[in-house]
Amino acid sequence: MKNLQVARRYAQALMEMADAAHTIEDTARDLSSVAAALKASRELRLLAGSPVVRPARKEAIFRELFGKRVGKGTMDFLAFVIARQREVHLEEIAEHFALLRDAKTGVVGVDVVAAVALTAQQEQELSRALGRATGKSVRVKLSVDPAIRGGLVVRVGDTVLDASVRRQLELLKARFIAGGPSTN
Amino acid sequence: MSDVRPDEVSEILRKQLAGFEKEVDIYDVGTVLQIGDGVARVYGLTRAMMSELVEFPHGVFGMVLNLEEDNVGCILFGESSEISEGDTVRRTGRVASMPVGDGMLGRVVNPLGQPIDGRGPVATEKLAPIERKALGVIQRQPVKEPLQTGIKAVDGMIPIGRGQRELIIGDRQTGKTAIALDAIINQRYTHSEKAKKEGIKPVYCIYVAVGQKSSTVAQVVDKLQQEGAMDYTTVIAATATDPAPMQFIAPYSGAALGEFFRDSGRHALVVYDDLTKQAQAYRQVSLLLRRPPGREAYPGDIFYLHSRLLERASKLADELGGGSLTALPVIETQAGDVSAYIPTNVISITDGQIYLEPSMFNSGIRPAINVGISVSRVGGHAQIKAMKKVAGSLRIGLAQYRELEAFAKFGSDLDKSTLAQLKRGSHLVELLKQGQFVPMPVEKQVVALFAGTNGFVDEIPLEQVARYERELLEVMDLRHADLLAQISLTKDLSPEITNSLKGIITQFTESFRASVKA
Repeated sequence: MKNLQVARRYAQALMEMADAAHTIEDTARDLSSVAAALKASRELRLLAGSPVVRPARKEAIFRELFGKRVGKGTMDFLAFVIARQREVHLEEIAEHFALLRDAKTGVVGVDVVAAVALTAQQEQELSRALGRATGKSVRVKLSVDPAIRGGLVVRVGDTVLDASVRRQLELLKARFIAGGPSTN
Repeated sequence: MSDVRPDEVSEILRKQLAGFEKEVDIYDVGTVLQIGDGVARVYGLTRAMMSELVEFPHGVFGMVLNLEEDNVGCILFGESSEISEGDTVRRTGRVASMPVGDGMLGRVVNPLGQPIDGRGPVATEKLAPIERKALGVIQRQPVKEPLQTGIKAVDGMIPIGRGQRELIIGDRQTGKTAIALDAIINQRYTHSEKAKKEGIKPVYCIYVAVGQKSSTVAQVVDKLQQEGAMDYTTVIAATATDPAPMQFIAPYSGAALGEFFRDSGRHALVVYDDLTKQAQAYRQVSLLLRRPPGREAYPGDIFYLHSRLLERASKLADELGGGSLTALPVIETQAGDVSAYIPTNVISITDGQIYLEPSMFNSGIRPAINVGISVSRVGGHAQIKAMKKVAGSLRIGLAQYRELEAFAKFGSDLDKSTLAQLKRGSHLVELLKQGQFVPMPVEKQVVALFAGTNGFVDEIPLEQVARYERELLEVMDLRHADLLAQISLTKDLSPEITNSLKGIITQFTESFRASVKA
């Protein structure tokens, strides 16, 4: 089970520090590159998750890898996380930090699934419409899934707006089986 | 037969689809973090309500029970084997509810209202929430109409009224379910024309089977069908194979259906068989949700589990239709220990209990009701006047007999009055014995108990008492049916009726005793 409480605590602490130093965007960028590195490299993941390698050794490795590529604040944070032996949660911490950053800057991440690739103009229109609907600035993450047959599925946080043809077909099928307008 | 043309097909389809509104479907989702043992932890679902129904993939439903800071704990109403971590969970937006309506009569369903008797979907009018706050004081009125169980011992000494909660408590295999089933079967009379003329309203029955063997439930349904009781009964079954969450909500579904009848001005009887297993299912669910265990590992709100269920049984005020919901919860004790945790809880909630003893059962006294510690707090208010008159001295007679029972071994060494009490008591005990599935209409009970409490039976040998009663009632049916009808119509024993009865029974007793000697 993802340990969200740990991720939340560390991300919150980092956010407060970055906020005070006005380095939120840089920190976010740094963290996401660390997370990307972890995702891409199996060895790095194993290292982070290994209880056998001593913290001092891990810190040295991380410094060599990231020392020049991330800011001092971020590097100190990484050292701190390693010293506390919570480096296995780094990906979750990065994820949660991104969420906190979005909340702070009034950006909301929206996942959009379409049946076919959208044109640039359609994408722009979509972003504008979503921005109007949510009242915040919107970061659209687009993906294509032919299984939805047509239409769009838009997910904002926990709410899903399902305007896909697949959903309409499902509802139609349920209606036929029930033998009339569904009451349940 | 002509072939159906393709354009006819498209025409019909178009008409069917015409009313279909294309709408954007908006729902809230979450992701499964952890799943196992019938409990799922879900991340997201930020706006989920307590006790809300949520939908997992593969058509499995769950109910939200734990709203925590970073996750939502749900119990599953189905198999968790096809659900994996990372699956999407959807809010349905409605609190767990059960379809209710007259279409439920005669059906066997699961606690979510889905039919399990293989007879197709149930036609219902509406959905009622499974959990519902019981009515307040103003909406109720005191219990005043009898609910006849057809069992002499119960209707005579521990009478149950419509709107009452009467607990049936005892060890295993002492006849608890038998009493409940007889009560259900006896309600068939309330649906007849004759009952209507006498001002008796029909009673609809609900039998909730919690954690029982499926074979037992099948037997129960079969028996009810044989006796013609399924016409006005619904069986809600959460058997031993059903997940604990289903067993936990089953009694609430029964109460929801019962409330439907009650709120429409009708009368309903709901049997919870049994609440011990519901408590165990709730304990399982609570422990898996990591709620702190209390006494006997039951969660802290185990009392509330039963009290909120049983409070829903009530008699409504006339302004609200005067309907009622009577509850007969069943509790199984271990080795007769009524001072254990769950039994004491439920005893303090109900309006009385019927206590069944294994020793009585084994010595042939069936129903094995210990009249001494069984009580009905509604008492005489739930009896017709006729019954009150004959059964008044019944309890005293039996109480005195029980005190003297130990002296029965001395035989003829006792004084006359003691011997008389012993004789009366032993004959009354014999008279109160009753077979299973033969509930007796109240007017016949009155006649039988009249014979007993007025001493007509005292001189009959004990082993002949059953035959005496049977033949007496046959005679009443054949030659004095009008008297029986009068009793059931007036619900009272007027002096004329009393005298006629005395005469008839005296005559019958003489001829019976003559036949015994011969």
